[in-house]
Order: sequence, then C-alpha cells, then structure tokens
Amino acid sequence: MKIAAKVIKLVLLSMYLIFAVFPVLWIFLTSIKPPYEVYTFPVKYLPSHISFENYKKLFTYSDFGKYFLNSVVVASLSSLISTFFAMLAGYSLSRSKEKKVYYIVLFLFFAQMIPAYLVMIPQYVMFSRFHLIDKLIGVIIVYSGIGASFSTIMARGFFARIPKELEEAAMIDGCNRWQALFKVIIPLILPGISAVFSFSFVNSWNEVFVASLFLNNSEKYTVPVALYSFISKAGVNWGFLSAGLVVALVPTIIIFAFAQKYIVEGLTQGATKF
Amino acid sequence: MRKPRRQARFFWFTVFPTLLLVLFLVVYPTIKGFIMSFYDYTIFTFWNPHFVGLRNYKAIFSDEDFYQALWNTIVWVAGSVTFQFLLGFGLALLMWKPFKGRGIYAGLVFYPWAISGFAIGLVWSWLLNGTYGVVNDILLRLNIVEYPIHFLSDPDWAMFSVILINVWYGIPFFAIMILAALQSIPRSVIEAAKIDGAGPARRLFSIVIPYIKPVILSTLLLRVIWVMNFPDIIYGTTRGGPAGATDILPVYMINTVFYENDYSKAAATGVIVLGILLAYTVIYMKVTSFKELEL
Repeated sequence: MKIAAKVIKLVLLSMYLIFAVFPVLWIFLTSIKPPYEVYTFPVKYLPSHISFENYKKLFTYSDFGKYFLNSVVVASLSSLISTFFAMLAGYSLSRSKEKKVYYIVLFLFFAQMIPAYLVMIPQYVMFSRFHLIDKLIGVIIVYSGIGASFSTIMARGFFARIPKELEEAAMIDGCNRWQALFKVIIPLILPGISAVFSFSFVNSWNEVFVASLFLNNSEKYTVPVALYSFISKAGVNWGFLSAGLVVALVPTIIIFAFAQKYIVEGLTQGATKF
Repeated sequence: MRKPRRQARFFWFTVFPTLLLVLFLVVYPTIKGFIMSFYDYTIFTFWNPHFVGLRNYKAIFSDEDFYQALWNTIVWVAGSVTFQFLLGFGLALLMWKPFKGRGIYAGLVFYPWAISGFAIGLVWSWLLNGTYGVVNDILLRLNIVEYPIHFLSDPDWAMFSVILINVWYGIPFFAIMILAALQSIPRSVIEAAKIDGAGPARRLFSIVIPYIKPVILSTLLLRVIWVMNFPDIIYGTTRGGPAGATDILPVYMINTVFYENDYSKAAATGVIVLGILLAYTVIYMKVTSFKELEL
C-alpha cells in the first residue's frame, strides 16, 4: 500500500515534470534543427544533425544583437532605479507602525494592482509631450514606475525580519541612520535585495505592450518587440522565431536559477502578508 | 526636539522618491486616462483633441464585440483560475513531503514563472500549430484524433487552447503559494491527527484545508485580478481571434490602440476595466475582511 502510493506519486511528479519542461525543450530542439527539418509532418523529433543555421539567420537577417543589447540596457537600468528606491522606502516603511505608514503601504498596495497596459495610453500622451517616444529612456522611466510599488512592498517584507536592535546598536556606536542602513542592514538583506532586483529585471525584460507602443523605430526595439515584429510580417518562420525565443528566454532563466529561492520567498510574503 | 524631526526628515527622504514615481507614473496616468476617455485622441487629432462627452463610451456600449469580450473575459478567468488552482494545489501536495532532489525539481517546474506570457504564447503557437504542431503529431500517433486539430485557428477550440496554455503557465504560481502555506502547518498537528486515526483524505479536508484557507482565499482572489489583466498569452497566440473567439477585455483595448489608433476609445475601455477591478476589489476586501491587510 505504502509502496503503491509512492509509485503513484513518482509517476504523477514525472508526468508533471514532462508537461512543464516539454514546451521550452521543444522550442530549443526546433531552433537547432536544420531549417529544412523544421517543417516536417509527421514531426521529426530529433534533428538529423545539430545546426545553428537558425541562429545565424537571426543575427544576420535581423538586428537581434542590437535588440538584445537594448533589452539589457532597459531592464538593468529600470530595475536598478526601482530597486534602489524600493530599498530606501521599504526600509523606512518597515521601521515604524505609525498611521501614515499604514496608509502609504495601502496606497502602494492599490497602485501595484493597476496593470501596466491600463495606464500606457495616458503615459504615451504624457511622454509624447516630453519627446520621450522612441527613446529607451522613456521605457526605462515607465518600467521603474510600474515596478516601484511592488518592489517596495517586497523589500519591506525582507527588512521587517531584521530586528530593530541591530541598527540601534550601530547608532549607539556612532553611525548615523544612513550609515546604519548601508553598512549594517543592507549587507544583511542582500539576498532579499537581489530578489527584488531579479523580480523587476524579469518583468522589464518580458514586457511587450508598453515597449511596442513606445518604440516604433526598429533601432530601439527591445527583444519582445522584435519577436512581435517577426510575427507581424506575413507568415512566421518558425526556425527563425524559435532561435529568437531561445535567446530571449536565456537571461531570465539564468536569473531564475540563481535567485529562485529568494524570489519564491519574496513572492509568498509579498502576496500574503501586508 | 531635534531628534524626532530628523527622524521624520529621514522617513520622507527615503519614501519620497518611490511615492513620486508611483504618483507620476501610475496615479496621474490613471486620472489622465479618465479625462482622455471624454476626448477624441486619435492619430489625427493627437495634438489637438476635442471634448466629445460620452461618445467613446457610447461607441463601446453599442459595440457587440465589447460584450463578446466581456463574456470571454469571464470564461477566461473562471477556466484559467479554477484549473490553475486545482492542479497547483495537487502539485503542492505532491511536493509537500521532502524527497531527494526536491529543490531541483522545484526549480525545473517553477521556471515558467520567469518567462514572459507573450513568449509562452509564441512557444505554444508552435506546439499547437494545426499543420506542423507536435501536439497534433502526438495525438495522431496515439490514434486519439483522426485529423489534426486547428487549436488556435478554429473558433471552437481557440478559447480552450489559450486557457490550456494559461493553466500550464499558472500552476507553478499556485503551487509556490500553497506549498509555502503547507509548510507553515506545524508537524505536530498532522501527527496528532494521524495518531487519532485520520486517513489522508480526512486529514486533507478537516485539517490541511481549514488551516491554509486564508492563504487559498487571498491567493485565489488576487489571482483573479491578475489573470483578468493578462493579455500576454492571448497576444502571443491569437490576438483575440479567430472571429473574436479569444477577445478578452485587455486584448480588446490593446487592439483598439494598435490597430485602430483610437487612444480615447481605448482609454474609455480602460476606465471600464478599472471600474470592474474596483468593484471586484471591494468584494475582495469584504470577503477577507481586511484580515490580510493588518500591519
């Protein structure tokens, strides 16, 4: 009976693993097929030989290297900005139980519920006036704002675990508040900060609607906008697109692999505890 | 007297930048969007919009596609969240008891979280392709179907297919949340029930579920909002088609921007969505009676 239960559990876990992993594995397999083997039916499961033809085409027929770089710039800068501010605000908001803190956190909680696509049109109008359309800096600013509220709530959760006595001790030893924060507290919650950063990086890296609306000049495309443009043109070349998808997925999967534990922690406390 | 004032200054100095960002990039645009919905911002009138009263709202409410999108949104949310929750719960239960390699297993099954919904949509469009798709190939080889199914281009199948993709995408999220809650149940409670002779099913329904009910409830309710505002997968697969079969409200709105270039009508749709969101949030607050929000 006990063994039967164990076997069933093992089978179910394995089935789910296949279900979870297969789609991305399949895109990867498609991307390393020689282009003429991409469209076969019945499907040829493994390539006859590994070919990087699709990747070559991706980087020669489109400016994918440039798009990738644009995405790196946009995602890194926007998450640096929002993480830095979230760190400061999250700290202060974790240190006091005054009424104003409650209202600010409540405000941030509601703000993070407003989805990005809902406010992108007014943002587009605002940014047109400032001549920030078709510029990476425009998208960087928008992403910093979108991520700011959730990042703050998440950072606050991490700070709340550090006992107050720690910085009080530091301040008795002659540190001022800033020194206590940067020299004592922040080194302690570095994993939490990196989770906040990873979280906003992944979100910015993946965002497609604001970027498509704001960036019309192909010089400024980010990776999602480029992928979007590949399917907008007549017909989809799946060999080409699968190579693009693999390149697009790699950075976020690497980040997830490193920060998974802390992201998971941040997610669970960000959404259940307030 | 000096110290509290310095403390207050520190507080506002640290909190101010975030508040400013949110005010400038979330709150102000929300208000601006509301105002825009009474004007005629199109590509031609962009720099010189006129006040048009309720024209945009009238256009939306007399548009049959809007009602279809409204209905589709309900189907999309109900279908997605129900199965994400049930399967995520199942996965969390399977992963509850530690086993060898659980950490790696968790990493492997949770990774879709890090991928954009849009990319997921593209990945699955290839898997579900009606002519060369691997899913059809498997179904044909196993003699489950006689002809390939046009999952994403057949209006009868399209909604089912995008929900399937969304379920695949959302299971990890629920599993993460529920697993965390499960791990907060004290072992002694479970052990005591075991000693009292409660079987697995009994333990699940009279101990585990009541214990983690608050987490389940708040996760479910918050997830509804999130899924409702999640056009990414649909935009990567069908963009609302075929014949509006997968047109949910966010997609309806984005299509108004991208294809009609009618910013005001889109803004008005946004206001309607925000209204629904607000009404829902009030219900959410009532149900959870602010418990989750206590500081």
